[in-house]
Amino acid sequence: MTVEGNTVDDFEKEIKQGFLEEATELLSGTEQCFLTLERDPSNRGEIEKLFRLAHNLKGSAKAVGFDELGAFTHELETFLLKFKNQTFELTAPAVTLLLECNDHVNVMVAGLKADLDAKFDSSGLIERIKSYVPAGGAAAPVVSPPASAAPAAPAGPESIEASEPVPAAVAEAFAAQEAVAQAPLFNAAAAEAAADKKIKAKQAAADEQIRVSLARVEKLINYVGEMVILQTVLRAQPQVQENLFLRKTVHQLGKVTKEVQDLSMSLRMVPLKQTFQKMQRIVRDTSSALNKPVEIEVLGENVEVDKTVLEQLGDPLVHLVRNAVDHGIENDMIARVDAGKDPKGKIVLKAFHQSGYLVIEVKDDGAGLNADRLRNIAVQKGIIPATKVLTDKECHHLIFAPGFSTKAEVTEVSGRGVGMDVVRTNIEAMQGEVEIHTETGKGTTFKVILPLTLAIIDGMIVKSDDDRYVIPISHVRESLRPTRESVKNTKELGEILLLRGETLPLLRLSTLLGRKTKPKDVDSMIAVVTTVGDRPFSILVDDIIGQHEVVIKQLGEEVRGVRGFAGTAILGDGRPSLILELGELAKTRGVA
Amino acid sequence: MSQHKFDSNQRYLCFGLGDEEFAVPLLTVREVVAMPETTSMPFMPAYFVGIMNLRGMVISVIDLRQKMQIKPKAESENAVVILEDNGISVGVVVDSVNSVLTVTEQDFAENLAAGDNKNRLSCVTGVCRKDDRLILLIDILKSLTGDDMSIISRSAPRQAA
Repeated sequence: MTVEGNTVDDFEKEIKQGFLEEATELLSGTEQCFLTLERDPSNRGEIEKLFRLAHNLKGSAKAVGFDELGAFTHELETFLLKFKNQTFELTAPAVTLLLECNDHVNVMVAGLKADLDAKFDSSGLIERIKSYVPAGGAAAPVVSPPASAAPAAPAGPESIEASEPVPAAVAEAFAAQEAVAQAPLFNAAAAEAAADKKIKAKQAAADEQIRVSLARVEKLINYVGEMVILQTVLRAQPQVQENLFLRKTVHQLGKVTKEVQDLSMSLRMVPLKQTFQKMQRIVRDTSSALNKPVEIEVLGENVEVDKTVLEQLGDPLVHLVRNAVDHGIENDMIARVDAGKDPKGKIVLKAFHQSGYLVIEVKDDGAGLNADRLRNIAVQKGIIPATKVLTDKECHHLIFAPGFSTKAEVTEVSGRGVGMDVVRTNIEAMQGEVEIHTETGKGTTFKVILPLTLAIIDGMIVKSDDDRYVIPISHVRESLRPTRESVKNTKELGEILLLRGETLPLLRLSTLLGRKTKPKDVDSMIAVVTTVGDRPFSILVDDIIGQHEVVIKQLGEEVRGVRGFAGTAILGDGRPSLILELGELAKTRGVA
Repeated sequence: MSQHKFDSNQRYLCFGLGDEEFAVPLLTVREVVAMPETTSMPFMPAYFVGIMNLRGMVISVIDLRQKMQIKPKAESENAVVILEDNGISVGVVVDSVNSVLTVTEQDFAENLAAGDNKNRLSCVTGVCRKDDRLILLIDILKSLTGDDMSIISRSAPRQAA
């Protein structure tokens, strides 16, 4: 509820917040534009787009009263105009400066989001923009127009100045008109109307999208799930089976329900594009910081992934990509040429779907990992004892150990031995894994394998005592009915399953869960072999009921302290059941 | 447990556990449902009945009678009061839902629970007299996040740090 006196403030606040949301969306594509321009300076479309964007941003920022942002984007716009008119050439240093400006705008928008009254110091950058002289020196002398909008000036006709030509003008026409329409005087109302109109036009252009909070989407998914259950209950009614009309209708309802469910699930999916664009920037920055030419190729940026997965994916990818530039690609360009490779290093970032998983590959064409060297470093740093025998593969995985670094010194880019540890921890927290494929002299590929969504898993429903539990299918290697002969009981190690060539610890789920029931005969039970953790083990359950896709629901805060459960899932009959985290449960028994 | 903060004319939902009467602030009550089917949860104290499905939400159900060692009424039909506060939802099994009560300052009796018998009455925040009824005002969510949470985490398996 709004208190009378606050309405104007609230209104203003709302407008400002609306603008910031919009600005964030507009800015999301700019970095990519700059990077494309660097590769292809003749791309007129991109520079036009950037120019329009800066212009729009300036106009809206001033209209809602963000004067500092408006003033800076004004300078940026002027600067961009020079590239647009080909007064300046788009060289690498120019792009670097432009990217810095882009960052600064992003910082301002983010800062304002946190605090609407935030203040920023843009004078340094503005100075650099104004004094920018192309390296070649061939360009015409720069005459910057004075910053007409002083940050302190209150919103009025002046402060809106050149940002809006005539209200009828559409964005496309701005570029041409800007040069002539230097300072037409018109009243604030008209400017506001124009701004309003422009915002509307922009919204239409943005592929007719709306922003919806994730919480609302989750609520929708909850209700849809419930609808699916009710539909199943309805279908099972004897009356429905007898009556042809009812049967047909319920069947139709089932189809529609399934569609709605798929659709509601897809609402959580977003393309990887933005994250991948960020990686391109990171390659660029890292390569220039290290003075090592590296290019990146991006494949599959339209692959979609669950929003929550995407959020947690950002950090690990940054580390992987940076690692590839810093460690993957050889420091010595001559060595690359000697090995018959392009002196410029190449990193391929690739995403694709593979059997229900999202795979992201970070591939470099560097020298590859040297297992012996990694091992020696690990011994030196005391991560492993000197006597420990490791396979090549285990040596490669040493780079994920906390505190492991091949660098002798800590630099701006690397050396603390934290990054790769973060990679592994974050990926594993998402139920994913990282594989390393390396070939000496040819390069290294890090393969990140992730579930498509954290919201749905394929689950095996098992029965133990009177309860049902869900085991993620991805954790199950196989299931079998053990014979009495294949299970050996030892006093020291408990029950052991002899499975073909393997000997596996055999744990009873009932015991793991602390149930005090009389142990049943093994030949009436089912052993599920799981692959979670470092070595496989098997779990004895009473029966396997089926296999379903289930929607994961978090446990309430009051019971989240209980280990061994990944959450709950509501089964077909509407009753919740616990999703087992077998690795965690087994740890309590000293296995795995 | 601190003295109950008295807010004049606050309304309470009264429910029965065995022969005793309890009340919770009406604003924390989300709804009352018939006793649902629940799924038991390992490693939890006995009064933790299990988890239930409330229209797609999974909610913990607790039985205060077990916690307070109150004998349940044999003949009564159980219901579950769903409470919601501070983002935590929990269901409480009750023998009966009695009335909505407006408590005035005169009804508010001294907190008899203070200090005594900690294990049983840790969630009682006040005592109220209405005619010849004695009603204990309780804060279930507070007790759940406080003392009981430690019980829960103690009973839960912990991996070696």
